[in-house]
Amino acid sequence: MGTGIAQVISLSPVRHRDDVLTGEGLLPVLPALRELLPGGGLQRGSVVTSGDWGLLPLALAAEAVSDGAWCAIVGVPAVGVRAAVEAGLDPDRMLLVAEPGPGWAQVVASLLDGFDIVLLRPPEQPSAQLRRKLEAAARRYGSVLLVAGDWPGAQSRLLVTDAEWTGLGAGHGRLRARKAQVVASGRGAGERPRSAWLWLPGPDGTVTAVAAESTLGTGAHDGTGTYQAYSGTAEPLASSG
Amino acid sequence: MTRQAAPARRVLVLRCPRWLDDDGSGGPGAGDSGSSDSAARAFEPVVAIVENFCPQVEVLRPGVCAIATRGPARYFGGEAQLAAGLIEAVAQAGVTCQAGIADGLFAAGLAARAGPTGLLVPPGETPEFLAGLPVGVLGLPELCELLPRLGIETLGQLAALPPAEAASRFGPPGKLASRLARGLDPRPLIPRPPAADLSVRLEFDPPADQSEPVVFAAKALADQMHDRLAAAGVACVRVQVQVRFSDGQELSRLWRHDGLLSALAVAERVRWQLDGWRGASADRAPDRDSWPDTAGIALLRLVPDQLVRAAGRQLALWGDAVPSDRVARAAIRVQAMLGHACVTRPVPAGGRRPAEQVLQVPFGDAETPQRPADRPWPDQIPAPSPATVFGVPLAASVTDDSGQVVSVSGRAQLSAPPAWLSAAGGPARAVTAWAGPWPVTERWWDPVHARRQARFQLVTEDGTAWLAALQDGRWLIEASYD
Repeated sequence: MGTGIAQVISLSPVRHRDDVLTGEGLLPVLPALRELLPGGGLQRGSVVTSGDWGLLPLALAAEAVSDGAWCAIVGVPAVGVRAAVEAGLDPDRMLLVAEPGPGWAQVVASLLDGFDIVLLRPPEQPSAQLRRKLEAAARRYGSVLLVAGDWPGAQSRLLVTDAEWTGLGAGHGRLRARKAQVVASGRGAGERPRSAWLWLPGPDGTVTAVAAESTLGTGAHDGTGTYQAYSGTAEPLASSG
Repeated sequence: MTRQAAPARRVLVLRCPRWLDDDGSGGPGAGDSGSSDSAARAFEPVVAIVENFCPQVEVLRPGVCAIATRGPARYFGGEAQLAAGLIEAVAQAGVTCQAGIADGLFAAGLAARAGPTGLLVPPGETPEFLAGLPVGVLGLPELCELLPRLGIETLGQLAALPPAEAASRFGPPGKLASRLARGLDPRPLIPRPPAADLSVRLEFDPPADQSEPVVFAAKALADQMHDRLAAAGVACVRVQVQVRFSDGQELSRLWRHDGLLSALAVAERVRWQLDGWRGASADRAPDRDSWPDTAGIALLRLVPDQLVRAAGRQLALWGDAVPSDRVARAAIRVQAMLGHACVTRPVPAGGRRPAEQVLQVPFGDAETPQRPADRPWPDQIPAPSPATVFGVPLAASVTDDSGQVVSVSGRAQLSAPPAWLSAAGGPARAVTAWAGPWPVTERWWDPVHARRQARFQLVTEDGTAWLAALQDGRWLIEASYD
């Protein structure tokens, strides 16, 4: 009887922070992002940057949040919540602080004590002193500060360096997927930049690795055929420098 | 009628449309989304005016307050004179308002919304007044959808149902709706107050000269009050917040909420009360967190008022993500810094525009979207969804090769292919790929929410993808994809 109840409880989707804590200090990330991050996950107590606001910061938080972690998003009034859900975030474990105001650093520090991931778009360039304070808070509480913007001293930096939308032509089609190259660099000496091509997002909004051309057909998503169909009709797009 | 429960007492509801950005529904399901600190502060002078007519003012939410008319109507020579006097006095302060008088708060709220200055429903005629109104005014989303499908379109038809049948068929919301439709109070009041004193108090020694610690303490105090109420098996419809200053001055206000006032919501109202009072008495105070010429707060007291039997709330068996204590504490701390409504949970909602597909619910409040997400919503934009969704669309300009603004005819004919896009006054960017127009006609039967749009997806030279719309001859950027 007792084991039966234990099983039921372990099946419950309601999880607690403690479950996530037992990850050897790593928060999981989507399979496609694993090789970009040292250790294959988000190091607790670290600061990770992801370039400007977009799908990448959401994708970085997605796996951990669907795994039971809580995520606060600070300073982004225009979060595309549906895109976040498609990328894998659970909206029940998201909290938004759209306008943190002039005391935003205090807000972030408070959120770091409690939330596993704080996704921040700083409203202004933070001073070195503020940065050190928030880095210390992240370390103390074992949370991850995910910054959409510039943050000298971040442990890992991810950046979309090249991106191309497919599916849209001159007057026809619709946006299907974006093929993006993400380059990751770390702070450690001698660490080589790593890069990967991702569907950011794929046709159903998920973020997956771009497989080699020949293996596209084995992709898990339904839109595998559409890439080829659309790459035939789509106009070549200008890629960002 | 005499055998049945007595009709609700006469109530006057005063509403100032200026601070009500929603549809103004005052029904029991109406949430707090329209209320904000600034509105609460701005509303305070109006409450002060109403207090001159009747000392017991209930603030329903910023922009709406209510008084019982029995006493003041006798003094002013009738309900009509009372309402006219009130509207006149408030108008002299530069605020336009509507007043409605009827039996019970619900009907009075609806009467206030009828016509430009409101309506006086004579005693006993409230059921007739309500009978013609659609069930949508109840503000109970689920029931308002179900009842018309069963052929019950008006409150009169709902009132004609035997109350016991309504309760057994539709559950607690049905019971509530039936009572409201018959012009009764939402829940029968417990006639005799319980013997025990359920109020809670906290003394500040030394007196607090800033509002933050008081608001913070109010949260703990409200928790304590809820524990006492729960132990007595009751809930309260109104909370009286009493603040005493060290110089003996007292500030007291009644706050009403037809759901249960959570501890967070009580604390928020304490903040409104303090901010509003400070705004009224010390406009000149430059620093926002202290009272220059008054003594500090010595005592905070919360008194539950109008007790009703607690109906309880059932948590879902599976899937309710219950925030752990640490998460809740962090969120509450940020709410204490920024205000209750500034920390929100996103709740997926239904809609055709990306901005409609999410509802921001203040942390600690329970609210379900009026438009459920699990409906088909034809004409919504298919996945992948944009990562940036502008709550207020950005103004934009889309021009063709010759610099003319691209337009779309009534037959969805494009004047020329879009070649340049400039968002929010920014530099013009060359359009490298586009598709559209996709015409959308929404809610043509509803003049307030009706919308006709022609939508486009555009990719510009910098690799950014945009969701743009042409509405009433103006280009808008609704979202961006990267």
